[in-house]
Amino acid sequence: MRLPHKQISSDIRSTTIRIRFWYAVLLLVMGVFIIRLFFLQIIKHDYYKKVALQGQLKEYEIKAERGIISAHEGKNTIPIVLNETKFTLFADPKFITNHDSVGIALQQIIGGNANDYVTKMKLKTRYSVLAKKLSKEQKDKISKLDYKGIGLRDESYRTYPQGQLAAQLLGFVNEDGEGKYGIEQALGNDLKGVPGELKAITDAQGVPLVTNTDNIITEPKIGKRVLLTLDISMQKQVEDILKAGLDAAKSKSGSVIVMDPNNGAIKAMANFPSYNPAEYFKVEDGNVFNNDSVSSPLEVGSVMKVLTAAAALDKGVVSKDSTYNDPSFYNIDGYKITNIEEDGGAGVRSVSDILQLSLNTGATWLLMQMGGGEINIKARTVWHDYMADHYRFGRLTGIEQGYESEGVVPDPIKGFGLNLQYANTAFGQGVTMTPLQLAAAISSVLNGGSYYKPRLVDGLTDGAGVFTAKKSEKIRSDVVKPEVSRIIQNLMEYTVEKNHNIYGMPVLRTQYGVGGKTGTAQIHKPEGGYYDDKFNGMFTGFVGGDKPQYVIVVRVNEPKISGYAGARAAAPIFSNVTNMLIDNFGVTPKGQ
Amino acid sequence: MRPRRRPILASGEAKRRKHHPDYWLLVISIVLMMIGLIVVYAISPGLSVQKHVTENYYVSKQLIAIALGVFTFIVVSNMSIQTWRHIERPLIITAGIASLAVRVIGERVNGAYRWIQVGGISFQAAELIKFALLIWIAGFLSDRIRTGEINDYQKSFKPLIIALVLVAIVVGKVQSDLGSTGVIIAIMGTMIYVAGLPLKKLAVIAGVVGVAVVVLVLGSGYRRERLNTYLNPNQDCLTTGYQACQALISVGSGGMFGLGLGRSVQAYGYLPEAANDSIFAIFAEKFGFVGTTVLIALFVAFFSRLKKIIEHSTDTYSRFLVTGILAWLSTQTIINIGAMIGLLPLKGITLPFISSGGTSIIFVSAAIGIAFQVSRYTTYGLITNNDSEGNRNDDSFSRRRLRGAYHPNSGSR
Repeated sequence: MRLPHKQISSDIRSTTIRIRFWYAVLLLVMGVFIIRLFFLQIIKHDYYKKVALQGQLKEYEIKAERGIISAHEGKNTIPIVLNETKFTLFADPKFITNHDSVGIALQQIIGGNANDYVTKMKLKTRYSVLAKKLSKEQKDKISKLDYKGIGLRDESYRTYPQGQLAAQLLGFVNEDGEGKYGIEQALGNDLKGVPGELKAITDAQGVPLVTNTDNIITEPKIGKRVLLTLDISMQKQVEDILKAGLDAAKSKSGSVIVMDPNNGAIKAMANFPSYNPAEYFKVEDGNVFNNDSVSSPLEVGSVMKVLTAAAALDKGVVSKDSTYNDPSFYNIDGYKITNIEEDGGAGVRSVSDILQLSLNTGATWLLMQMGGGEINIKARTVWHDYMADHYRFGRLTGIEQGYESEGVVPDPIKGFGLNLQYANTAFGQGVTMTPLQLAAAISSVLNGGSYYKPRLVDGLTDGAGVFTAKKSEKIRSDVVKPEVSRIIQNLMEYTVEKNHNIYGMPVLRTQYGVGGKTGTAQIHKPEGGYYDDKFNGMFTGFVGGDKPQYVIVVRVNEPKISGYAGARAAAPIFSNVTNMLIDNFGVTPKGQ
Repeated sequence: MRPRRRPILASGEAKRRKHHPDYWLLVISIVLMMIGLIVVYAISPGLSVQKHVTENYYVSKQLIAIALGVFTFIVVSNMSIQTWRHIERPLIITAGIASLAVRVIGERVNGAYRWIQVGGISFQAAELIKFALLIWIAGFLSDRIRTGEINDYQKSFKPLIIALVLVAIVVGKVQSDLGSTGVIIAIMGTMIYVAGLPLKKLAVIAGVVGVAVVVLVLGSGYRRERLNTYLNPNQDCLTTGYQACQALISVGSGGMFGLGLGRSVQAYGYLPEAANDSIFAIFAEKFGFVGTTVLIALFVAFFSRLKKIIEHSTDTYSRFLVTGILAWLSTQTIINIGAMIGLLPLKGITLPFISSGGTSIIFVSAAIGIAFQVSRYTTYGLITNNDSEGNRNDDSFSRRRLRGAYHPNSGSR
């Protein structure tokens, strides 16, 4: 059937009209679009440009590489703290779809628990850390999987080729890249360098776009490299000797310092117990971070008598040949001062007896001489002057360590029972100092009277490779007179010579000039008074021909061994350290 | 000569002499596709980093799609228009099966079943449905006009309503693709409107559609969210309104002349679907207001060519085909650009020619092929009463350059 043409044509006409009307609507819509685009792109352009940059322009800190730390080994220097790049695995939960399979794959590569990863991938955040410190191999394996929303970021970590060696002295670097304790803290500003800055238009993940040439970059400045005064091999052996000595003395903790008395350089500084700085976060007791040699002052006991004698000799109130009539006790302000160590009983005693027999009464007598025969304000002031200004107790030494402690020297004028208190300070009670302060003071007495600021750093190397040596700093050169220095050296050698069997030194190598003094220090109770059954063992001494080459301070906390702590616990450690130094570190015999 | 099946033609057989086709249609199409390719090329390195694919992944994909499109165009543009009448039934059946198959062998993308995977090639079922429905309705309407039953409730109105409901169920509900449903409704609505359905009946259909949309939108949480987003795009750039907000930032930061071809930032992970649904915003960022105006002008020019072909086509079936094509491509353009400039809600509809995506480009190419073929048989002037009142021979003189007198359908007479 065919329709009449007329009807067909009218249909066609009608469609033509309708299509034109429809097309007009289409044009209208397109016109509206153009107007809208004009509004968005021209009128609101500045607004959207600003909003776009808020999202796109990011500022980054480019971390500077932290300086490495080296130390001596004989004539060489070797690094003991290095940097290592490890990888942090993170997820952008927004982009992760197949949580379970990703979780299982991660578990296979890096261990851990797949469910934990899944939980972290479902957190409502754009950045969820899944794992840290992944190795390069693990990183490559994960990258190869090419999961969407999974990313890896490299981060620098400290690594310790020598393991736990000198851990407390070095300190560690925490998650935020801050140095904590030890050298890392004290020289943090030098080590960390100057971070660079990058301002860049980035993609949504924050990766700067290469197409954008307007990126603003300040290059980071690498941190300075630190060369320590330590000798690695000496440090190792000292640590081993300390550990063995503490075991033998049934003590839980202790320290040894080996110092060069002629320039203040610390050659070894060992503490036990220690920790692994690479795994500092596994440490449960935060006290182990402390370098007890500089952070933990104590009453040092009879080793102080060396310094009391030096002060009295230097002041000229006694001479090396002076003698006195020891009553075996003194009554000071109603309290009895007796000899608690090697008791010599009443009798005529010399200055050398005071050290050799470790007479508390002798130390008290020395103090009395400073006051013209009795303990009075003059005696206290003079002795305080020596303690605080000559030996620099009660002051920070300024060693390159975090959390140094200064100890307490009692005031000579203000307070009650000062005479008794000062009598106690003459034999090392009632005054506190760190082993380092003690080592520095003994060094100054033995080297002819020059107080060198103790130091752990030989120099710094900047990013350009320029090495700046850190010079020895002589704080004062009149700690004691040179002749007093020689007397003290002889007295200490004499003490060792007389007591070497008690000290656990069966063979005394006198040609190497070994001298020292024990200390068995009472321990102050927190609530006042002293424990009856707890002592710290101290020993301070030296080795080195005509002139002391190494000053050694040994501290043994609360040994459980019978006998005097200084002689039985600390002296054997000193002895072993001395032998080790003579054998391996070129101690010059006497007369050469 | 063996007898041929008589072509089913409503009118104007006498004018169906072949002449040279509308080359402008082709030129504009090529220009638009090249623009799409250039934009995809420019953002390909950035996208590949974000999506963890090789650097040339997007460009090669687009080149393959265009090659397939060119092939499709060559095949379709050399097919007789009548061929579509013969395959409209298999086509619609295939489309129906495909749209149900997405549920079975389909790939779930962003929580919706819209893709079919056949041997490593993803295929968007909705594109086939749009195309098949367009072909079917063109045939249906031209039949009804030929038999004068266009106003018949049972024969015209009812089947269309049924088709509409089926589309709403299959595409809107099963595939959760409200955008494509909208495009299909627009195609059908336009074709029915142009076919001359009385406005009263159109109003009834519009009412039904309106109610359905409200029900669908309120019945689905994510659509409600999208509607909220649309009403308040700047409220929350990070969550629901993120894409809309980033699109506005892209468009707005383009300014007058744009950041330049290689200087787009938003494509680097900020704007989702940068190569597909959001490509207009990237284009706007790169080329600014000048660029967007030129692009819209190109689209308008393309649509005007289609309109011209419709107006000059003498054959009702061809008219409806091209009308459907015009409705389809223009609706997609409007929905896509409208969403990018914050005037319409986001619907996941591609921008014809420009968006990366094989399925879209192949069907667009097929559509251009049809329009191109139809343009070979247009008259010079508009069809007037004279054309149908016996003056058709005059027309042969005023025809544009004749290109051979023979035509398999008309020449045998």
